[in-house]
Amino acid sequence: MNKLKQLLIFFSIIFISFNLNAGASDDVKTNSEDFETSIVEDEIYDPLEGINRAIFGFNNVADKIILEPTAKGYKKLPTPVQSGVGNFINNLKLPLVAVNQLLQGQGKNAAESTGRFLVNSTIGIFGLIDVADNLGLEQKEEDFGQTLAKWGVGDGFYIVLPLFGPSNLRDTSGMFMTMMTDPVNAYAASQGEAWVIPLRTAANAVDQRSKIIDEVNALRDNSLDYYAAVRSSYYQNRKAAINNIDDSDLTPLPLISIEFE
Amino acid sequence: MINLVRFLVFIFIIVLSLSLKASEASNWLKKEVDKILIAYQDPNLPNENRFLLIEQTINNNFPGKSIAINIAKQSYKNANEETRSNYINLFKRHLALNIASLMQGYSNQKYQLTDSRYDEKNKVNYIDMEIYLDTGEMIVTWRVLKHKERYFVIDLIISGISLYETKRSEFNSMLKNVDNDLAKLNEELHKINESSYQKIIN
Repeated sequence: MNKLKQLLIFFSIIFISFNLNAGASDDVKTNSEDFETSIVEDEIYDPLEGINRAIFGFNNVADKIILEPTAKGYKKLPTPVQSGVGNFINNLKLPLVAVNQLLQGQGKNAAESTGRFLVNSTIGIFGLIDVADNLGLEQKEEDFGQTLAKWGVGDGFYIVLPLFGPSNLRDTSGMFMTMMTDPVNAYAASQGEAWVIPLRTAANAVDQRSKIIDEVNALRDNSLDYYAAVRSSYYQNRKAAINNIDDSDLTPLPLISIEFE
Repeated sequence: MINLVRFLVFIFIIVLSLSLKASEASNWLKKEVDKILIAYQDPNLPNENRFLLIEQTINNNFPGKSIAINIAKQSYKNANEETRSNYINLFKRHLALNIASLMQGYSNQKYQLTDSRYDEKNKVNYIDMEIYLDTGEMIVTWRVLKHKERYFVIDLIISGISLYETKRSEFNSMLKNVDNDLAKLNEELHKINESSYQKIIN
């Protein structure tokens, strides 16, 4: 009799649990007044909007005339060539990535990045082949902008840099710190081969742009205000990168009342 | 000891029920995404009809009206009935054009729904879709809400960028530029929809 009782309790719990969940999911009773869904947009401080929009317009034209066609051409290269170029460029970034991971207290990640650099630079033939990935040493990105953010430095105002695109005061400072401290750039300059620096920057831009051709076109072709869309995307992307947590957990949840449907 | 066992059984049931809910949502999503991809992959379908099919699928599965009202906030409240209705229709088409345009880029790629989880607190399913591109993988997260036995996609997140959040920011900026006049926003929306539509069908 006791067993029967326990069994009945067990099934009651299952039944109640399912009904509670089903009922709760139908019970989305926010109303049209509940409009305050996130604080991301309100946090973007853009006092230079007029100038930024002008530079953004210039960058957009430069992208259409130079970067996008180059990226499309690059995309026609055989996949192993594209992967090789991408791997080579990413490998050169690793020493500074490891430094930034250390500065952010991510000892394990810094060790992994150092391991990646050593493995890919040797077995991976100067970084052309990403051997480390197969060994479980994942690629992770960290830069000085992210380090400054982790140290509590605020975004500062939004800036659109000529050719470099969307940024903010903190990330621009981070970018300059990267330029000043990058060991590969420093070595090239010390050897009288400073031309390598802009070439590397351009190759990186083409490689990165080739990976988002469809996404950028979708955004550009379908935006009511392309400038605002890029600004919002930049802030969301940086926030996800700084926090190193699951993107979907970080992005504010739209509290939409679907009573209107 | 018996209490501990009961407690563990209880926790197990809750976890099982959450994962069942997540997998039900994933099955539904896969069916709907496939409808769109099939429309893209059918070479005999004229572009106009292809878009209409996709638009219909998107309108059935996104709470377009709710998102539109949520995004326009006070401007919607202050507008007259005709302007509101016009705005809802234009917004729904705008949403369909945006999603169709995004998915067009992935239409020839293989994908897999790799993870789904149910956020009990907010009653939202998160479904991760891994798209296999030539140069690597890409994760798109779908936020899905169940309402009156129907599923609705309330957001798409790509590389930490939420479609909803981006649209909200974009519309807020445009509304500021037109002094929160919904009728003026409709004019702009109409223009961009026309231009996007031409690009997608040609």
